Amino acid sequence: MINYLIQEPKQDPQGDLPWDGVPAHEIDFWGQLPVQAGTFDHVDGLFYFTYAVCIIFFVIITGVLLYSVFAHRRKTWDQKPLSNVTHNTPLEVVWTIVPLIIVMIMFAWGFKGSLDMTTVPHEAQRNTYKATAKQWNWTFIYPDATQSIAEVYVEVDKPVQFILESTDVLHAFYIPVMRVKRDIVPGRYQSVWFHPIKQGVYPLFCAEYCGDDHSRMYAKVHVVDAATMADRPWNKVPAEDKPVERIAYGARLARQLCASCHKMRDTDTVVTGPSWLGMFTKQGDTYVGRQREVLEGGVTKTITTDDAYIIESIKDPTKKIVAEAPYNKNSMSKFDTLTDDRVACLIAYMKSLADN
Amino acid sequence: MTTNTPAVDVQTTQPKAPRENYLNCTTSFKSWALTLDHKRIGLMYLIGTSLAFLAGGVFALLVRLHLWEPEGMLFSNPTYNQIFTLHGAFMVFLFVIPAIPGSLGNIVMPLMVGAKDVALPKLNLLSFYLWVIGAVMAVAAIVMGGFDTGWTFYAPYSLYTDQAVVTIGLAIFVLGFSSIFTGLNFIVTVHKLRAPGMTWFRMPLFVWAIYATAILQVLATPVLGITVLLVAFERLYNVGIFDPRLGGDPVLFEHFFWFYSHPAVYIMVLPAFGIISELVTVHSRKPLFGYKLIAFSSIAIAIISFLVWGHHMFTSGQSTYAMFAFSFLTFFVAIPTAIKEFSWVATVWKGSVALNSPMLYTLAFLIIFAIGGLTGVILGALNVDLHLHDTYFVVAHFHYVMMGSIALAFFAGLHHWWPKMFGIMYNEFQAKIACALIFIGFNATFLPQFVMGSRGMPRRYATYVPEYADYHKASTIGAMILGTGVALMVFYLVASLFIRKKAKQNQWGGVTLDWMCPTPPPHLNFDEEPQVVHEVYDYTTLDYETLQRDCD
Ligand code: HEC
Ligand SMILES: [Cu+2]
Ligand SMILES: [Cu+2]
Repeated sequence: MINYLIQEPKQDPQGDLPWDGVPAHEIDFWGQLPVQAGTFDHVDGLFYFTYAVCIIFFVIITGVLLYSVFAHRRKTWDQKPLSNVTHNTPLEVVWTIVPLIIVMIMFAWGFKGSLDMTTVPHEAQRNTYKATAKQWNWTFIYPDATQSIAEVYVEVDKPVQFILESTDVLHAFYIPVMRVKRDIVPGRYQSVWFHPIKQGVYPLFCAEYCGDDHSRMYAKVHVVDAATMADRPWNKVPAEDKPVERIAYGARLARQLCASCHKMRDTDTVVTGPSWLGMFTKQGDTYVGRQREVLEGGVTKTITTDDAYIIESIKDPTKKIVAEAPYNKNSMSKFDTLTDDRVACLIAYMKSLADN
Repeated sequence: MTTNTPAVDVQTTQPKAPRENYLNCTTSFKSWALTLDHKRIGLMYLIGTSLAFLAGGVFALLVRLHLWEPEGMLFSNPTYNQIFTLHGAFMVFLFVIPAIPGSLGNIVMPLMVGAKDVALPKLNLLSFYLWVIGAVMAVAAIVMGGFDTGWTFYAPYSLYTDQAVVTIGLAIFVLGFSSIFTGLNFIVTVHKLRAPGMTWFRMPLFVWAIYATAILQVLATPVLGITVLLVAFERLYNVGIFDPRLGGDPVLFEHFFWFYSHPAVYIMVLPAFGIISELVTVHSRKPLFGYKLIAFSSIAIAIISFLVWGHHMFTSGQSTYAMFAFSFLTFFVAIPTAIKEFSWVATVWKGSVALNSPMLYTLAFLIIFAIGGLTGVILGALNVDLHLHDTYFVVAHFHYVMMGSIALAFFAGLHHWWPKMFGIMYNEFQAKIACALIFIGFNATFLPQFVMGSRGMPRRYATYVPEYADYHKASTIGAMILGTGVALMVFYLVASLFIRKKAKQNQWGGVTLDWMCPTPPPHLNFDEEPQVVHEVYDYTTLDYETLQRDCD
């Protein structure tokens, strides 16, 4: 017990809460379920059907019970019962068969609905996201390989599938307004799909207990129209007057797009492309590129790895190829769709590697 | 009373020396600690499990208090996680599973079948001490830093967390054996020690229920024992069984766990059904409606309950076939359960219904269990479960069954057999107040949880989104009322031991053998071997004289 008493008192939450800016669920007419933003109407249908059946049975049971308790209560200590009946076969058959029929309806309805929820349609398969759960946050990877953390954008009226993966313990992917829930089991891929039809921002909860900050494992689900989606709001480049954010953004891009070939951290082991460590050195306040032997049109040259060279290496990698083996054999794929702004962030990140 | 023999006359006119009974026949500490008397062992179980219940209740109140504020009032998140785990583990493993069979089952069942004791008294004592060892280990686990896995111990979290999981796992292993031995003992007792004339269909339904439970205990508990051992093994020696990093499978853990824990739900609830069957007939003074159907439905439930464990795992990515089978059988098991509820209500119908405190607790049970059972049907529907699974809806549902039904049935049974056990009565008025408080408090606690659950509030959250705050507050207030009711109950029950208001020989007018032997029973229960000559629950045979006569 002592353990609990000497624990530090609860801290006030630092900074913003993960659900800031997300409106409370809009609740439906009957007050029980959040208004659905998806298309699994059968969940609500069966829920309220069962609910109604339950209420009817409850009223009958308690009604008969309370009536007989009141009407047949014992008034004198030696009062005998009004009846000594021990069974009534027709009645017993009825109250066995009727509930049996009702629950079989519920079973069939529920099973059919669950088939709908577990069979991913083709449209959703063509719009596949990946959600990675780890203690205690969510990372989403979009069909175009961009990524976002703690929030995800999906397009309205376009079915979407999420491939779910956990890097540590069990979690569960739960969006109440979509009525989807799926456990995320480490070592396996799971999938869910839904069809958002209502724009808005909705909560995504982790529903399977996963340790200390289980209750903070929250993400915002933005359902937006196609125009907003095309703008990729999750992938906005930070403004130029925010150098720290730009480096962080560059780092994220580099992890997503380049880390499969380039070493950029001491712990990386890839050798497909030249390491980025040592690409720049810091002299005073400026970053100076290293000397490089490159092949341009079969001719060996020595150049400095300055911004221009890097931009060229990214947008047109075959123009100058690193002469040192084995890099001269492999060529890098083109990244000519990366905007200049993003490339600038990447370069800022590469330079920042010289800081330590 | 005019034809009294002199011997009886001496007794009635000189009430000084109470007749020798199991409580006062010997008094040394050793005679209690090493007793082989099922009634004394039952009493010790009663004290032990009640303490565990109170501890679990304190944890529950802490949980509810903490959740008063969306950001939590009392604890850091890790501490909250430990507290709710302790609440669950204490309640399930130390109270709900052992309480009714261990205490009331032990005390009443042998009386009901007309036996001198259980078949294997030494094993019975061993069961109790295993329970004690398990309880001590559970407390040791708290001292060693606690555990934060939830009472379900899901892998791989339970493998990675740096807490006393091995200790509590072994505690559960030991408790499991306590439960298995009790089950074994009761099976043998029911088969071998029934009094002459006590045919199977003259057995009171409490005995049937304890018997069905015992079968489940013996068959299901070993699986739990093996599972927790495997977890301990994996933690200690890094063998890959459930840990995906070592090639294990976390879903396998869920299968093992629920293969035990679903039947365990019935290990917990069947004895409660038994108590209610008993009380409904006695306090309505009317034969139980559909006796055979109830008896068979206990057995049916015991069998089917082995085949529905997958309904705890609908979201785990089971195959469609598995979903189909588990959902179907889950709905199916609703039927025998519904039959019981209907039969109880039909028993009350046209009875001579006494509104004393055991009956009030029973009525509270019948209403709460109706809600608990019916909401289970909502959860059985596959598509709906995908929304409701792991939300407060589930929390509310199983508290309606575990706390609202099982604990209330336990209270009902306790009030019913209290005069039998001690020969004294508690304060009826206070008992009725406590029952009302518990009923109101319970519903106030858990009805709001249904609503927030279906609105999406996930369970096991130390902090929550503010939109659920009102429901959490209502729930916390309810828990305070509930806590007050329980505190009052503990108060008047304990107080009755000091006030010593004499009970009647047959306080409620039962006609089963437990009311035929002297109150409180002597060491060997019956003065002479009982003979069963009439059908069970035949109230035409009720001897009204015993209703008025003070107990010995
Ligand atoms: C498929 C593997 C691969 C990926 C992915 C890749 N590169 Fe490369 N990269 C190479 C190889 C191989 C070379 C050396 C040959 C060359 O110069 O084309 C190279 C060379 C470079 C160079 C010149 C390095 C030097 O030391 O002169 C730069 C700069 C570079 N890559 C940047 C990037 C950036 C930025 C990305 C991510 C947007 C990226 N690369 C992604 C394989 C890759
Ligand atoms: Cu999680
Ligand atoms: Cu179950």
